[in-house]
Amino acid sequence: MPELLSPVGSFESLRAAIDGGADAIYFGTEQLNMRAKSINSFSLEEMEAVAQICKTHGVSAYLTLNTVMYDHDMQLIKTVLRRVKECGVDAVIASDFAVMERCREMQIPLHISTQANVSNVETVRFFAQFADVIVLARELSLRQIDHIAREIKRQDIRGVSGERMRLEVFVHGALCMAVSGKCYLSLHEQNASANRGACTQNCRRPYAVRDLETGNELVVDNEYIMSPKDLCTLSFLDEVIRSGADVLKIEGRGKSADYVYTTTQCYRQAIDAVASGTFAADKVKGWMEELSKVYHRGFWEGYYLGRKLGAWTTSPGSAALERKVYVGKGSNYFSKIAVAEFEIEAGALAKGDTIMVIGRNTGVLKLSLEEMVVNGEYASSARKGDLLTLPIGRKVLKTDKLYKLVTNDA
Amino acid sequence: MPKLVQYRHRCIGCAVCCAMQPRYWRMSRKDGKATLLNADLKKSVYVLGVSNQVAEEMVEVAEACPVRIIKIF
Ligand code: SF4
Repeated sequence: MPELLSPVGSFESLRAAIDGGADAIYFGTEQLNMRAKSINSFSLEEMEAVAQICKTHGVSAYLTLNTVMYDHDMQLIKTVLRRVKECGVDAVIASDFAVMERCREMQIPLHISTQANVSNVETVRFFAQFADVIVLARELSLRQIDHIAREIKRQDIRGVSGERMRLEVFVHGALCMAVSGKCYLSLHEQNASANRGACTQNCRRPYAVRDLETGNELVVDNEYIMSPKDLCTLSFLDEVIRSGADVLKIEGRGKSADYVYTTTQCYRQAIDAVASGTFAADKVKGWMEELSKVYHRGFWEGYYLGRKLGAWTTSPGSAALERKVYVGKGSNYFSKIAVAEFEIEAGALAKGDTIMVIGRNTGVLKLSLEEMVVNGEYASSARKGDLLTLPIGRKVLKTDKLYKLVTNDA
Repeated sequence: MPKLVQYRHRCIGCAVCCAMQPRYWRMSRKDGKATLLNADLKKSVYVLGVSNQVAEEMVEVAEACPVRIIKIF
């Protein structure tokens, strides 16, 4: 069965990915990754902790180093790669030839990033001199993937490690309107290079089309003419797996921990269902319900089924059915009795509310408030300034955040 | 005197500032970030006193920085 690869942009989402059942995670460091702007990258010092946590849980850790690289980045690349070796990070994901060459010199396992736009088996063979895994271009159909996978077997194309080359595909998450993420819109509009991780998401805004000669505006039925819906392959994941993909990747290093947890868990269950031959429509329905609760722009099945790009979003933000509202933070943990204390800092909670705790150690916990102990006494509500205690099996830290889940009717 | 400030730790090394005002900015080969030449480090930000004229020229650079970490006070 294929490997499930989840995005990680914080220690909270790392925990969430592991709990959700990821086989591997990918993360970024310093400024050399495509999410540099969203501050969700780990420092060089933190890399060791990430690798260590992954090792303890038997999860592989891959570092993305996939921006456009300039001459002034060469020293930093070396420093980062040295750190990769020291910490025992399992592989590097890259598309720049300077990084590929360095990885080969330093004998660091390499995965070719989707930024390299690999779309045929000859290119796979070329990159086999440097890498073990190829993240295929997101524009391929399942038939094309199937063909590449068969040819790799038939021609016995092996990577640097001597193992057969493996193929990785995106199964879920945001899509970019540009081919393999090579987008120049941000650069054009705000001088912000998306290829250095500073994408300003211009494509996600509404646009009008105007005839410059007459000044007339063309009527377009959807103003979000450049913002594709999110990719979701869950309903045909059995076909994706049958096409021969070895690694299934979820997009979203910039997303929150609960997003990582929910998507990872749904795909984990789906992969396991395919493996045990129990993948069925009613299960898909359940997973889709879960997925629509967290951040998304509406779903479509990507290019995999050979359809044209045509599913555009109709609103600026998320179409998630649930929204989390911050109510407080962890204030104490009583290990002996496994009870956590939270300080309510905003809003209010009442019996019956669904809450969520997110933390480095707790990951993502969703609970229903059946019974409430507030300021040491049974109660039916809590508000700002109150201390709420809950039985929680995992140690809650002061950095843990408590949210209330509400339905999104916006 | 106007002050030019750079929150350097958040620099993504895109080199735009350096291309626009090479007399003031240099890309560091050590960590790949932009260095504001002759600036003083004060509480993890870099500060350089500049003339009114230079401050005016830097407005364009500040607006061009994709992560908006160059400020003029
Ligand atoms: S423009 Fe901003 S992000 Fe780019 S190199 Fe200069 S300071 Fe860094």
